[in-house]
Amino acid sequence: MRKYLKEMTELMGVSGHEEKVKEFIKEKIDGMYDDIYEDVMGNMIVLKKGKNSSKRVMVAAHMDEVGFLVTKIHKDGKLGISMVGGVDPRVVKSQRLLIKNEIPAVVNSKPIHLEKETSSVAKYDSLKVECGFKKDEDAKKKVNLGDMVTFDVQYHENGDYALSKAFDDRAGCTVMMNVLESFKNNNTKPEYDTYFAFVVQEETGLRGSGVAAEYIKPDAALILEGTTAGDNPENEPEKWATHLGDGPVLTFMHSGVVLERKIFENIVETAKEIGIKYQYKMRTAGGTDAARLARSLNGIPAGVISVPCRYLHSPNTIINLNDYDSVYKITEKLLIDGRMIAE
Amino acid sequence: MKELIKKITEIYSPSGREDEIREFIRSEIKDYVDEIKVDKLGNLIAIKKGTSDKTVLFDGHMDEIGLVVTHITDNGFLKVDAVGGQNPLNLIGTQFQFNGNIGVVGVEGETVKELRENHSHLNLDVLFVDIGAKTREEAEKLAPIGTFGTYATGFNDLGDHLVSKAMDDRVACATMIQAAKEMDKPKNNVIFAFTVQEEVGIVGASVASYDYDVDMAIAIDVTMALDTPKAIKRMSMKLGDGPCIKIKDNATISDRNVVEFIKNAAIEEKIPYQFEVLFGGGTNAMGYQRTKSGIPVCTISIATRYIHSPHEMVSYEDVLNTVKMIKAVANKEM
Repeated sequence: MRKYLKEMTELMGVSGHEEKVKEFIKEKIDGMYDDIYEDVMGNMIVLKKGKNSSKRVMVAAHMDEVGFLVTKIHKDGKLGISMVGGVDPRVVKSQRLLIKNEIPAVVNSKPIHLEKETSSVAKYDSLKVECGFKKDEDAKKKVNLGDMVTFDVQYHENGDYALSKAFDDRAGCTVMMNVLESFKNNNTKPEYDTYFAFVVQEETGLRGSGVAAEYIKPDAALILEGTTAGDNPENEPEKWATHLGDGPVLTFMHSGVVLERKIFENIVETAKEIGIKYQYKMRTAGGTDAARLARSLNGIPAGVISVPCRYLHSPNTIINLNDYDSVYKITEKLLIDGRMIAE
Repeated sequence: MKELIKKITEIYSPSGREDEIREFIRSEIKDYVDEIKVDKLGNLIAIKKGTSDKTVLFDGHMDEIGLVVTHITDNGFLKVDAVGGQNPLNLIGTQFQFNGNIGVVGVEGETVKELRENHSHLNLDVLFVDIGAKTREEAEKLAPIGTFGTYATGFNDLGDHLVSKAMDDRVACATMIQAAKEMDKPKNNVIFAFTVQEEVGIVGASVASYDYDVDMAIAIDVTMALDTPKAIKRMSMKLGDGPCIKIKDNATISDRNVVEFIKNAAIEEKIPYQFEVLFGGGTNAMGYQRTKSGIPVCTISIATRYIHSPHEMVSYEDVLNTVKMIKAVANKEM
């Protein structure tokens, strides 16, 4: 169930540039589905037929990650960047980046002992990205405005923990891939026709999922996400959002929507039945595609299950692999038992 | 009608937990409409058939603002987050209920300086709710994490003025129920949409009309009254001056034709009205305006003092005139 976690998080794909991620998924899940559809926006929707075709369930995870685009080529050959999705500029300083998946770069930074105003917040206007070009003409030969820029980070595991970028939301995508693979290997089926939607552009404002839903017309949806932990030791536990190692994060409400109570309760019951540890999201800030789906078509009720991520939206995100495993287990069980449809 | 307003505002149903209010409205309205259904999000749609082929939709949201339990301390205190727009200042000194258990709100602060600072910069992180539990286990039984709470303040009849925790937007639901009861066979088909989750971001109204062809959608909601001492000078809505026909707020510019239509209906039926331009704010009209290929919208507002506090105040006369206005619009030829 952890298959592809390394490859998936190391792939580069900011919002609007999800092609590489999609190609990888498509190749790996070949032969595991009954139908596949790609829409003009870039969403990829994979149908796994269930035992019962009277209802349609949508399972969604987003392929995009937060990152940047090149928005300026300076005279000195250095690049200016703008963020895609929310990235605090303070986590960008001195980082290694990759321009369009090929050119390594670093974010230039004044040596820290020369910084007089160490408490002042860096702004993107003042950040320059250095790839070793001498002047703008050299840079322009290889770099175009609008090129994708991502964190250049490798996946590492140490015991129960894994470090990489983009667990938000490749972890969700990987869970869906592994569930599909398990259906095939064990010759099992979900209860209802299940549409696995690998969606685009979540980080820039929940853009892909609503469009995917127009095609699927689901009766209910399950969103798989990476969510913030905020479990810093200097904070009291009551101020944490979630905590690594406490299991999948189950959400009763977040920004923009209160989640359907019956689905939420079914998720909690399922977690209890399979005997996994779980936790509730203790902060309601931040949203997921569930907020968009509630406002799509004639209203799509949804549940949200997340992997807690420490240092979310930064180059180095840490997850607990047991939490991830449990998200996988609960997702598979929910789909097989048909409990996303809450009558 | 005061009895209806009292009953409907005393129900506890914050956003996402509208079961109780929905059942109340269903039982009130079912004998007066031709069709009734609940959609997947929980919107209650009641339809009264008219004699023409035009359809007008009236919307009132069933939910009210509240709090949700996010953490329980070792000593059995609740930590909470907001459901909808909560001003922390309003929380101090009032009562809440979680699953029917009364709770009061306190402020953290380990030094006098910290306590003062927390008081002057109130936010939910420094507040806690005390439901009288002595241990975590006791609190978990009464109000486990994920329990929604609301103000526990009652209804008060001050004569011309009425006060309640949830005039926003139960008073609108009450006007729609009352209009349905008083309406014989309307001219236009009328859809009464009692919607969910307005307070967390206009959720129910974004989808409630998706399955219908609607010619005009009108949200009924409350709006700020500026007739109290030293109220904001640049707006003019007042209690008792009649229902407000909204020109614009932060979410919607009302359709000019719908504004004119409502105004003319009011003039014909001799119903007092005032115009409303609200800076800030938004209503469910936004949801309908953006549904499918777009529906012409407007909002009829009831001027209200102390919105989103435990004591929202309206004029009873405005409420009665809103009922008249709903009927006038339903019966006017489009």
